[in-house]
Amino acid sequence: MDKKKLLIVEDEPVLNKALQDFMTAEGFEVVTAIDGEEGIRKAQSEMPDLILLDIILPKKDGYEVIREIKADEKTKNIPIILLTNLGSINDVEKALELGATTYLVKADYKLEEVTQKIKSVLGMA
Amino acid sequence: MLFSMQSILEGFNLKKQANELGVSIWRSPGFLFILMGIIIISSMLAVYFVFNNPDSVEYLLLSEFTLVLVLFTVGNSIISGVDEIARANKMKTEFVSIASHQLKTPLSEINWEMELLVSKFSEGLNEKQRELIANVNNSNARMIRLVNDLLDVARIDQGRLPLVREELDIIDIIEDVIDNNKNLAKSHNVEVNIRNYGSVPKLVGDRKRIVVVLDNLLSNSIKYTKEKGSVDVAITPEKDRIVVCVKDEGVGIPKKQQKNVFHKFFRSDNAIKNQTEGTGLGLYIAKNVIVQSGGEMWFDSEENKGSTFCFSLPLKKNDKFYSVSM
Repeated sequence: MDKKKLLIVEDEPVLNKALQDFMTAEGFEVVTAIDGEEGIRKAQSEMPDLILLDIILPKKDGYEVIREIKADEKTKNIPIILLTNLGSINDVEKALELGATTYLVKADYKLEEVTQKIKSVLGMA
Repeated sequence: MLFSMQSILEGFNLKKQANELGVSIWRSPGFLFILMGIIIISSMLAVYFVFNNPDSVEYLLLSEFTLVLVLFTVGNSIISGVDEIARANKMKTEFVSIASHQLKTPLSEINWEMELLVSKFSEGLNEKQRELIANVNNSNARMIRLVNDLLDVARIDQGRLPLVREELDIIDIIEDVIDNNKNLAKSHNVEVNIRNYGSVPKLVGDRKRIVVVLDNLLSNSIKYTKEKGSVDVAITPEKDRIVVCVKDEGVGIPKKQQKNVFHKFFRSDNAIKNQTEGTGLGLYIAKNVIVQSGGEMWFDSEENKGSTFCFSLPLKKNDKFYSVSM
C-alpha cells in the first residue's frame, strides 16, 4: 500500500513537530506548514491525502484556508480535519459549514486518538 | 452576646470593609449607609422646623433644593460604586477565560510530547522512568481538567456555555458512567446499583455534558463513602420529566454548609477532610448544565448518614431546551 500523505498546518512549532514525529512513526508521509498561506500553497503543490488544520494561524486563518482549498477544483476533495483549542461549538460549526470534514480539540485528544481519526477519515481503520 | 456585639461593630469598621471591597472609604457601603442616615435625620428635623415657620417659603424651597442635591449626589455615588463592581466582575471573568485559553496550548504540548516519548521513543526507558513519566502525565491531565473547568465557569458567568441538542438514552449514559467508575468503586469498597422505576422515554440534551454531570455525582458519592457501602442510582420517570438520583451512605454535608453546595469554589469541611483533590467547581458546573438544559438539581444530606443528589431533565416532546449561542 502507498504511504498516505498528510499536510499539517499548525503555527505552534512544538505541536507541529510532535504531530509530525508521531505521524511519521505511524507510517505517514508528512509535510508541514506554519501559516495559512504556506498551507494553501503546499496543499496545491503537494496534493496531500488529508490536511490537519489549526484555526488560529498567522497570515490567513483556518477558515480562509478552508475557503480557498474548497474553491480550488484541484484541491476541493481533500478531507480536512480541524485542530482547535477552542472547543466552542459555534467556531467548529462555522468551519464544518465551510467544508471541513471533522474536528478535534487539541488538549483533549491523545495523538493516538488523532491517528484513529485520520485513519477513519481516510478509510484505513 | 459578646460575639453579636462584635459583629455589629465589625459592620462599622469602615476601613476594613473598604479594604475588602477594594474601594475608598467614601465609597464603602458602611460609610454611605451612615451618611444616608444622617441626611434622613437632618431632613426630618428640617421639615419639622419649616412646619413651625409657615411664612418662610424661600427657606423651604432652598432647603428642599439642597436636600435633593445632596441625595442625588449620594445616590449617584452608590450607583457608580455598583457599576464599578459589576465592571470589575466582568473583567475578572474575561481574564479567567483568556488566561485559560492561553494555558491550553502549552498543556497540549506537554500532553503530546509525553505521549510521543512513551509511545514512539521509549527505547531504553526503565521501570522507574516510566513511572515518573506516568506521574507527569497524570498531573498534566489534572491540570487540563482544571483549565477546562475554569473555562466552563467563565462561559457560565458570561451566559454563553454552549450546549448541543441531541437525543439521549439516559439508561445508556448511566451504565456508561457506572462502568467508567468501576475501578474507583472497587477501591472504595462501594457497590453501585441501578434502580429503575418505570419505562424511560428519550430525552433531549448534550450527551457529553450530561455524562460529566452524572460522573461528578457518582464519583463524589463513591469518594465520600468512608469505609464501605452502597450507592444507588435511581431513575424515576414523571409526567413531563425524568428524575435521576444518586444516593450514598457517605460522610454527608454539615447542615450549616448546605446552602453553599452549588456555589463555585465551595468545598465542605467533610470534603476537605476526606479528599484532598477537587476544585469545588464540579457541582457548580453540573447545576448550570442541568438548569440550562431545562431541568433542576437539588440534594438532601445528613452528616455521617449520607447524601442524595438528584437532577431532572425534560422529556423530548417538551421543547423547552435552552441553547445558548456564542
